[in-house]
Amino acid sequence: MPLLSVRNLTTRFATDRGVVRAVSGVSFDLEEGEVLGLVGESGSGKSVTALSIMRLVPEPPGRVTADAIEFDGLDLMRLSEAEAREIRGARMAMVFQDPMRSLNPVLTIGRQTTEVLRRHQKLDGKAARRRAIELLEMVGIPMAERRLGAYPHQFSGGMRQRVMIAMALSCNPRLLIADEATTALDVTIQAQIIDLVKRLQRDRGTAVIWISHDLGVVAGLCDRVNVMYAGTVVESGPIRRLFHRPGHGYTVGLMGSTPRVDGAAAHRLTPIEGLPPNLIDPITLCPFLPRCRVAVAACHERPPAPRQFAAGHWAACFADLVR
Amino acid sequence: MSTASPSPAAPYRIPSSLALAARQFPRHRLALVGFVCLLAICLAAALAPWVAPYDPVQIKLGSKLKPPSWEHWLGTDHFGRDVFSRLIWGGRTSLSVGALVVAFAFTIGVPLGLASGYFGGRVDNLLMRLVDAFLTFPPLLLAVALVGLLGPDIQNVMLAIGLVQAPILARVVRGSTLAVREDVYVTAARALGARPTRIVLSHILRNVMSPIVVQLTVVFAAAVIAEASLSFLGFGTQPPQPSWGRDMSEARRFLADAPWMFMAPTGIIMLCVLSINFLGDGLRDALDPRAWRTRRRLADGEG
Amino acid sequence: MGRYIARRLIQVPLVLVVVSLMTFLITRATPGDPVQIMLGMQTSKEAAEAMRKEFNLDRSLPEQYVLWLGKVVSGDLGRSIRLNDPVTTLLAERLPVSLQLAAAGMAFALLVSIPLGVAAALRRNSWIDYLCTGYTVAGFAIPNFGLALILIYVFSIRLDWLPITGIGTAEQLSGGVWTYVKPFIIPAIALGMLQTAILTRLLRSSMIDVLSQDYMRTARAKGLMPATVVVVHALKNAMIPFVTMAAIQFGYMIGIQVTIEYIFAVPGMGSAVLNAVVNRDFPVIQGFTLVIAAFFLFANILADLLYALLDPRIRY
Repeated sequence: MPLLSVRNLTTRFATDRGVVRAVSGVSFDLEEGEVLGLVGESGSGKSVTALSIMRLVPEPPGRVTADAIEFDGLDLMRLSEAEAREIRGARMAMVFQDPMRSLNPVLTIGRQTTEVLRRHQKLDGKAARRRAIELLEMVGIPMAERRLGAYPHQFSGGMRQRVMIAMALSCNPRLLIADEATTALDVTIQAQIIDLVKRLQRDRGTAVIWISHDLGVVAGLCDRVNVMYAGTVVESGPIRRLFHRPGHGYTVGLMGSTPRVDGAAAHRLTPIEGLPPNLIDPITLCPFLPRCRVAVAACHERPPAPRQFAAGHWAACFADLVR
Repeated sequence: MSTASPSPAAPYRIPSSLALAARQFPRHRLALVGFVCLLAICLAAALAPWVAPYDPVQIKLGSKLKPPSWEHWLGTDHFGRDVFSRLIWGGRTSLSVGALVVAFAFTIGVPLGLASGYFGGRVDNLLMRLVDAFLTFPPLLLAVALVGLLGPDIQNVMLAIGLVQAPILARVVRGSTLAVREDVYVTAARALGARPTRIVLSHILRNVMSPIVVQLTVVFAAAVIAEASLSFLGFGTQPPQPSWGRDMSEARRFLADAPWMFMAPTGIIMLCVLSINFLGDGLRDALDPRAWRTRRRLADGEG
Repeated sequence: MGRYIARRLIQVPLVLVVVSLMTFLITRATPGDPVQIMLGMQTSKEAAEAMRKEFNLDRSLPEQYVLWLGKVVSGDLGRSIRLNDPVTTLLAERLPVSLQLAAAGMAFALLVSIPLGVAAALRRNSWIDYLCTGYTVAGFAIPNFGLALILIYVFSIRLDWLPITGIGTAEQLSGGVWTYVKPFIIPAIALGMLQTAILTRLLRSSMIDVLSQDYMRTARAKGLMPATVVVVHALKNAMIPFVTMAAIQFGYMIGIQVTIEYIFAVPGMGSAVLNAVVNRDFPVIQGFTLVIAAFFLFANILADLLYALLDPRIRY
């Protein structure tokens, strides 16, 4: 039984102009200890998928529906808000994109780290403090004890993201969701944070959903990738297969490579022309069609159904990209 | 009115775009209502001799302290004078003080603010310290002192209130000027050798007009309340001339017997200030390009 | 930090000199002779001259100002022409009354604005949010003396629950807590209404701003209890501008009590200035405006201090 099983997740937002379908009909499984990449352009529904699983979508204006979201033996859709609070930060935790703005500026690092421990593990002040120091040292913050009294603005971006990771891992969660966790950081710091997550993930067997628009980062970290476009998963597969044999026109575009008849790929950066569709309008055909370079006749007639290429590798695309 | 979120059991209905637009609309509808109300009060005051049903000062002791009736819509006061007619005539003082203060604050505050913001440096420092000193005075006490010492005629009342409001306006104008000054087109105009006065008048003034207009509605509202306060304390309009503030002061002696005497002027002052504030809010929304951007961004479903 | 405060404190006397100079010019440049008002028309020339001499009114204006300023520096604000008491004695009677009234008004403002502003921000577009908007809009529009009359009519005349007068009187000081608090209620509400509106609106908007910040999502992602999320994570941030504004408004409230003092017969500073203006009692006008202005300035410095104290990012 998978650790997390999402079936037909749909998240809508009410706006002035109409209902935006940020996520429509997303389904996937995540095994224990697995690292799943969620890639796609901004606005493709990656973050909203994560927030929906965490039950962090504000309702209203949002509205989350799903046939089921099963996690660790629980149906998350059926949990009350109070029950969801017990899970969040304890059994599943999240690290956000911008460490500059994700930490509360008026609370000390110590306060923000210990509050999770006090809340979920019912530690008293002293024990929580000791554990917080351990955690901060574990994520590579030197002289952690002295830094408990510091405020976030006294830390660098990389340090803050380490703090965020320490907080997320403090209750030994079974699932860690990292939403663009390295995007706002310098390249060298990025590599450090990725190494840290990799190490902690291996040591503890934590399952990770790694959200990124950077395929390079995902390639170095993940076992499997879901490619998202316009609120749907358009392709899913093991990382190596997906890189060598992309099955969807969008994945091809995303990798900046144009396939040639002989199967070799000419690697050069080709930004995908055009813009993603407006998620207010109903989408009937393949959402990527207007921007697709490999479209075939069938694309203009009906929406593509997922096609299986190999075990665990499928794409919703008519073009015969995979041989 | 009620937009309570649906209960968990009820099927979820996402509000239509029309419903969302309707939620935005009241602000602007209120601005319109405010404008119409203000216009009505102004017209009534201007046309007082024709609109007011009775003479506001003639004493008729036979019909004193009469409650509201068909004859006297808002009752009569302790001298038998029609409260409604006194409200209409009293509006003349309040509104003309408001208008004069706006004009005064504009002529003093705008040039000071522009000069301070545009030239910066010592000029700015000197002018702003002066403004600081003025703003250190409690406004009503300053007005009381000025009117009390100079004598209670309308020019002095206007001057006393205007001297408080002009520095506030100057500060607003200065802030906006500072923001506009560094904009590309001002630099461009300066590079082309335009004279400072020309830059200030043609480029900056046009761009700081919206905050000025909005602030002037604030000045007007403050002036109406300040005039009423002065008259209430006995430093503004003198009896038997009708005045909203003065009449409220008189009404204190008849709170139990003739509550309409204080309620009517209180109501009209509130109505007047509410109208101005709604109008100001509407103008702020209409004139602020940032608000347009916010609206568009919301419409695009961001954030 | 210390240096910044020191610099601000050094500026205080400078601003006060400007303020006193302005007061001086306003009082002396306007018509009206305090001696004549005091002694009436029938006094002998000699008596009037003697009195002028006593209060230095016979000297030139620059001399008068310098003499006055010299005494102020040594803590002497002069003597009231009308009452013949030292201005400092009058201040000692009046200032505590004004401070109590301002404190009562601010207490009312805080009591209403904090729950209302927070609730409105948490439940936007709900009935409580509409109530909050309606309340602030009304608070900005109603003159405080109009509100005072309405409250007196309803609570003193119709319902007979609360007294109309009694602040700063002897029995109020000797009675129990309720005797002390009772006469403050209506004046405090009337005086604090505008501040309530200002503070409620400020707290609502800063709370809404804070609630949309990324760190609030982090707090919820930690599974913290809603009360912790709101009070510790949101309110602590939203309170920074709020507390600052409250301090500024408190300094301001001492100077805006005139109408309230007038209605409720409160022997505060505002009514003292009012009487002094009528009687051209120059030393009282100058002394009192100086003290009121000083309060305003110190409240502003206090606001800056509080800001730095509450926001760890601020270092002057």
